[in-house]
Amino acid sequence: MRKITPSFWLQRQIPWGLSFTLASLLVSCSYSDIPLGPTSLNSRYTEQQPALSGNGRFLALVSNRNGSHQLLVYDLDQQQFIQTPRLNQPETIVESPSLSYTGRYIAYMTSDQGRPVVALYDRATQQSQILTPTYRGWIRNPSISPNGRYVVFESASRGQWDIEVLDRGPDVELDIDNGASVGAPP
Amino acid sequence: MKHSIFLPIFVTASLLSGCVGYPRIVNYPYDPGGVSLNSSASELDPQISRRYIVFASDRGGRQDIYMFDRVTGSLVDLPGLNSFDTVASHPGVSESGRYIVFAGSRQGRSAIFLYDRETRQLRNLTANLQAEVRHPTMSADGNRIAFESSVNGQWDILVYNRSGQPLNIPQDPR
Repeated sequence: MRKITPSFWLQRQIPWGLSFTLASLLVSCSYSDIPLGPTSLNSRYTEQQPALSGNGRFLALVSNRNGSHQLLVYDLDQQQFIQTPRLNQPETIVESPSLSYTGRYIAYMTSDQGRPVVALYDRATQQSQILTPTYRGWIRNPSISPNGRYVVFESASRGQWDIEVLDRGPDVELDIDNGASVGAPP
Repeated sequence: MKHSIFLPIFVTASLLSGCVGYPRIVNYPYDPGGVSLNSSASELDPQISRRYIVFASDRGGRQDIYMFDRVTGSLVDLPGLNSFDTVASHPGVSESGRYIVFAGSRQGRSAIFLYDRETRQLRNLTANLQAEVRHPTMSADGNRIAFESSVNGQWDILVYNRSGQPLNIPQDPR
């Protein structure tokens, strides 16, 4: 009798554990963007680190509204915030945004398992990727070129702040104005 | 036995990917004398446009703004931009390289300056703003400038056009 009870108890726990795991997976997948609250550029809280897009229409900033430190993108022509799904993640800090010409690419600082990394968010795919996965040392203040191919940032690998230039390669989709001529990249 | 085969393959693959893989770091010459992108002093706040990289550096004994041309691989002269009594920081450059915006601190007051390389004129955009200002940014076409201001007792963002007029952006009533 004593032997049967624990095994029965265990069997009942397995479906519970499974459903809990599945539910937590679903929750993490359907995690939506942090609600934006008031639609004005400035709020009662701190707005910092502005970055204009190349065409001057979009303004990326870091805001402390809604009780969290978040990266927002404001449309200066429509005078409202635009949605950037999956850019702000819970329990993660984003800093130092920088925008490409039409605001398609957002380069920013974040951390990956405690390591500072430069990440890139693509508004077309709504996905982020880490640009500096194997980089040694402390880095900060990334800035993306208007066409989105190059990212410069400060690095401390020489024991002082120096400037590194990261080339994303010739195959990336460039962010250029409609009708603009594509010159030979330097 | 299997490991002895996999190890050389893995090493070769990693070497190959290191040679042609993107994203990768572009190497510019390091010059201790201070005529290249990096020097033995500290380089801060880089911004990149089509061919220019602007940054702040204290290589000249004070913190000044420098502009590096990636095509010629040398620094660009900016006559009249830096001055002896101003700490310059956070530069931004238009895509053509004509306009440079930066924050300057002089005699205890901070201001946002706009430099025009064609006319070599330096203009204070925030002379009428009774507040501390910092962290300017400029659009690639050089038409809009945004920066942080302490005018409301916290850091807020103001957006100006190139002639120094604030853009009409609605604000929540306070």
